[in-house]
Amino acid sequence: MMLKKIFINSFEALVENKLRSMLTMLGMIIGVAAVILLVSVGTGAKRYITAEFESLGTNIIIIQPGKTDKKSSMGPPISSSKGKITLSDVDAIMRSSQLLSAVSGVMYGAGTVKYDISASNIYIMGSNDQLQKVFNINIIEGNYISKEDDDAGRRVVVIGWNVKENLFGKDSPIGKLVKINESEHRVIGVIKPTGDKLGFNVDEMIFIPNKSALRLFNTDKLFGIRAAAKSRASLDDAVADITEILKERHNGEEDFTIITQVTMMDSMNTILNMLTYALGAIAFISMLVGGIGIMNIMLVSVTERTREIGIRRAVGARQSDILKQFIIEAVVISVSGGLIGILISLFITYALFFAFPGFDMRPPFWIIPPSFLLSFFTGLIFGVWPARKAARIQTIDALRYE
Amino acid sequence: MALIDLRNINKVFMMGDEKIQALNDVSVQINEGELTSIVGTSGSGKSTLMNILGLLDLPSSGDYFLDGTNTTSMNDDALSLYRNQKIGFIFQSFHLLPKASALKNVEMPMQYASAYNKDLTDEVIRKLALESLEKVGLADRVHHLPNELSGGQRQRVAVARALVNKPKILLADEPTGALDSKTSEEILRLFQDLNKQGVTVIIVTHDNHVAQSCRRILRMSDGVIKSEEHL
Ligand SMILES: Nc1ncnc2c1ncn2[C@@H]1O[C@H](COP(=O)(O)OP(=O)(O)OP(=O)(O)O)[C@@H](O)[C@H]1O
Ligand SMILES: [Mg+2]
Repeated sequence: MMLKKIFINSFEALVENKLRSMLTMLGMIIGVAAVILLVSVGTGAKRYITAEFESLGTNIIIIQPGKTDKKSSMGPPISSSKGKITLSDVDAIMRSSQLLSAVSGVMYGAGTVKYDISASNIYIMGSNDQLQKVFNINIIEGNYISKEDDDAGRRVVVIGWNVKENLFGKDSPIGKLVKINESEHRVIGVIKPTGDKLGFNVDEMIFIPNKSALRLFNTDKLFGIRAAAKSRASLDDAVADITEILKERHNGEEDFTIITQVTMMDSMNTILNMLTYALGAIAFISMLVGGIGIMNIMLVSVTERTREIGIRRAVGARQSDILKQFIIEAVVISVSGGLIGILISLFITYALFFAFPGFDMRPPFWIIPPSFLLSFFTGLIFGVWPARKAARIQTIDALRYE
Repeated sequence: MALIDLRNINKVFMMGDEKIQALNDVSVQINEGELTSIVGTSGSGKSTLMNILGLLDLPSSGDYFLDGTNTTSMNDDALSLYRNQKIGFIFQSFHLLPKASALKNVEMPMQYASAYNKDLTDEVIRKLALESLEKVGLADRVHHLPNELSGGQRQRVAVARALVNKPKILLADEPTGALDSKTSEEILRLFQDLNKQGVTVIIVTHDNHVAQSCRRILRMSDGVIKSEEHL
């Protein structure tokens, strides 16, 4: 019999047994939808986080004291007692490297900021004038810390948007004096509402010159250095430069760790890919369950239709005709289920996207052909055994089957 | 040369440890164009013999020459081809596909035949199936499902299906067993007409009237052909 005809017959058989076909398909629908949805969650999360990182600029170089494993550099900065980074290290890097567009030491801690009212637990960041460039900090009013402010260690402060709203309301804070941990600083700038950047909520932070920060926290140890390479292409060379400069200053010892956007993104990607694979594996299991469901129903169907098999064999169907018939039925079920699953998952993700545009879990297009093929092969693989069973029934036994 | 030539056919069924000799060294020849009936008590082996004649079952030993070829050495595909092309089989319980219309049931053998014969396009198959149904007087019932037809009509669909590939042999195992005498008569007449057109017909029956209307009667008992009669 022609393949086309068998396809038509299979569709007819499916329509004849609507309820059963639907129930069998359900496994495949859920399986394929799960594959697509879970992969979408994985890639969506990855897309979100990658975009977040890239918004910071991809040329950023982070230098931390102490030797930490680059692979696990995602955690909070660890300062080890062994390495020590000071302002003179920052100056040396600034002087010697031609490949950097900005370099700043950083210093941070929590503190209380007081105007008429006080706000506690504010994150205080010490930096020089160049940090603005490293992190693309946008000033909405006034100015960021200047080179002179930093050199002289002036008691000035640039405040985040929420801090300004809390302490000053609608009034302009420029020129006003605030008390940071009891030490008076003059407000010189306000940062545009920004939200999260590199794990900090910039709106809840204040920025003061490095020297002021070191004085405030009574130390000479910086938390690290943040720099930006002039271009992405020069990133590796810049890292090599910095390594050399710092090693020379630290008695030839590499007691610091350099992290770049690239290494961060790499380790981030590793984690996110693992997440995607794990989700994929879960989805794969649901496909497996769907496939077993198909096999189960096909076996029942073969038993139920034993007499039909006998009749077909009696009028001249070969074993291969019966085999084809049942495999194609399984494939038609699984592929129909797969297509419905694809449509459902697209519907869900797009509906969510239009309802909540920030929640972009739309599946990547590349997932659709493989999930279609997956449903096809699931039908094929799990259809083979029942179909072989059907083909091997002896004609006379099949005809006599009650 | 005989169309059907059975030589020393044995058929043994195993029921657990018990051996049932359903056919015991049966040898018989049937020529092209004959109209033969097989009679005998229940359990005498008539159906077993018919199933072997129809290539639905294989003998335990012996040779079966059909149209000059020894079928006992054929593989499954060749047997399927023979069933499809040379033999039409009619069962007491009709054996129609319950969810397919009369037309679809009749088309089915041709769909399998289309693997060998490229002339059998969908249109040709449809045309031939309609013709076949018309011949058995069911032109106005082609889209009915089997359960929407009377017993006699169902058996006529089965006859139309058996004939559609123009087989040389028509085997009918108690074709009128489930029918009343009037319908039986109609079916019997159909067989006689076909036989006149040259089809070799073999009918297993318990109905003496049916048997008497055949030119040759084989009487079976205990797995052997005890006697035969020519009318
Ligand atoms: N598949 C089988 N397994 C075991 N024994 C069988 C099988 N088929 C037939 N037999 C036995 O073989 C013998 C012949 O059976 P068969 O069906 O050929 O009889 P029959 O002449 O057609 O009878 P009836 O007139 O009742 O149809 C019987 O004893 C039956 O029990
Ligand atoms: Mg019988």
